Amino acid sequence: MKSNPKKNKTSLKKYWWVALLLAAAVAAPFFISEFYLTIFGEALIMSLLALSFNLLFGYMGQLSFGQAAFYGISGYTVAMLITKAHFNFWLSLGAGVVVAAALGLIIGFFCVRLRGIYFSILTLAFAQLIYFVIYKWHDFTGGDDGIQGVYPPDFLNSSIHYYFFILIVFILATFILWRIVNSPFGYTLKSMRENSERTEFLGISIAKYQLTAFVIAAAYAGLAGALWAPFYRSMAPSALFWLKSAEPVNAAILGGPSLFFGPIFGMFIMTFFHAWVLAYTVFWAFIMGILILIVIFLLPGGMLGFVQEKIKERRENRNPTTGIN
Amino acid sequence: MFLTTQSLTKEFGKLRAVNEVSLEIRQGDIHAIIGPNGAGKSTFFNLITGYHPVTSGKTVFKGKEITHLPAYHRCQLGLTRSFQITSIYPKLTVYESVLMGLLSHRRATFNFFGSARSYYKKEVWGILEDVGLADQADRAGDSLSHGDKKRLELGITLGTEPEVLLLDEPTCGMSPDETESTMTFVKKLVEDRGLTILFTEHDMSVVFGIAKRISVLHQGTLIADGTPDKVRSNEEVRKVYLGESK
Repeated sequence: MKSNPKKNKTSLKKYWWVALLLAAAVAAPFFISEFYLTIFGEALIMSLLALSFNLLFGYMGQLSFGQAAFYGISGYTVAMLITKAHFNFWLSLGAGVVVAAALGLIIGFFCVRLRGIYFSILTLAFAQLIYFVIYKWHDFTGGDDGIQGVYPPDFLNSSIHYYFFILIVFILATFILWRIVNSPFGYTLKSMRENSERTEFLGISIAKYQLTAFVIAAAYAGLAGALWAPFYRSMAPSALFWLKSAEPVNAAILGGPSLFFGPIFGMFIMTFFHAWVLAYTVFWAFIMGILILIVIFLLPGGMLGFVQEKIKERRENRNPTTGIN
Repeated sequence: MFLTTQSLTKEFGKLRAVNEVSLEIRQGDIHAIIGPNGAGKSTFFNLITGYHPVTSGKTVFKGKEITHLPAYHRCQLGLTRSFQITSIYPKLTVYESVLMGLLSHRRATFNFFGSARSYYKKEVWGILEDVGLADQADRAGDSLSHGDKKRLELGITLGTEPEVLLLDEPTCGMSPDETESTMTFVKKLVEDRGLTILFTEHDMSVVFGIAKRISVLHQGTLIADGTPDKVRSNEEVRKVYLGESK
């Protein structure tokens, strides 16, 4: 209790770099080429998918290998509503998120009963099931042709405008999720990750909380998909393929799943690295694999986790009396 | 009638681990369940707390049958347990762990936006003072010493503001000093917070020093039940259990 006022001050000080990054993100369109601005926008959208995955993995302790299903189903909902039903843009985005959350409720109902690898496999199985439905149902979804011509309203048509639209949604959504993981609900998720038996014997119904988190994560993946369709102007079934589900997994491992910002960092590294390596070689996956190997063996807490550890060490060396407390 | 079991039975295959045990635990008592290893103490415990499903019989708490309620529901009613193998949160801090019990009990866990750290500060610090861990509040659970981990688990369970605290071998693995201070602490809890304590134990000096009532299990069957004096003088108990250690 005694350290309270001090703590508030340091927490403001602690997040100066968030303000710095935000300023950089706002200034970016005026300094970087349109190509890299598109990559930046992609990284922001995919970061939402990474956050969705990490709510389940980093906070709740369950590895979902099917987040692409929610991402893709939302993207398809938006794409079909806009191109086929000529539906209002904003309502379409909302519908995408709602459909993803509803799908999360159904799939989650079965998955949260399982733990560990069984949970992962079942999410993967459901996601592949939905992928095949979309892939095979040519008359309705366009099959492997996908859906083209998904345009945002005129004032969002320029890439700078759409970039700022993504940025605003990203900031809001990230802030909300940050509040959630630090809320009593977020603490309950963390406690289940640490020792679900203990939590159950404190009077918590594990399945109920895991299902709630699963639906929230599905909605976030859905938000990413909803932003993606008008950004890329099209949807293809590969958005639901299991390789897509692997992207947030890789991002979390690269950046560090134990940190809130770890997966975002990882996704930015991956997205920019991807764009950069593709200019030189098509064997991008090979290079990415090596990068992941390096991180797993040398930086097991992820890149951002490594940075945080170093900062902590330096602080403790400078001020050894406050080492433990 | 506070907490009673009626012919509670548990079979694992052909083994009858708990055999028609009928027991009454009175409010405000410190009630010990003793018996040699394999007597069924822990299994009996697991039946009351909902860890194992029962084979037959009934458990009634404050007039409500709880025999088949899920574990978390029993906890919400006021029955909280500790585990024989200390069950804590390895990576959460001591403070966060105790907070978890309070959040759970006060049904705050479905709050999505408030900052968890701003909840129940006074209560958490009160419990931390009580269990003697206030100066280690920011340490991770798994960095504590063995005895402190046990205290932490006790702190977590206190957060749920239980009416009945079920402690499975609370002093298991503790040094004699730690054992004594823990049991003194448990006694104080009963007095301060008006708790009822049901605990299993194999250290007889602990049991006779603190328990108001003692029940003796032998091969899953209840062979004696009553005050320490009555149990001590029971012929059968002396034969199967105390006889060897005295």
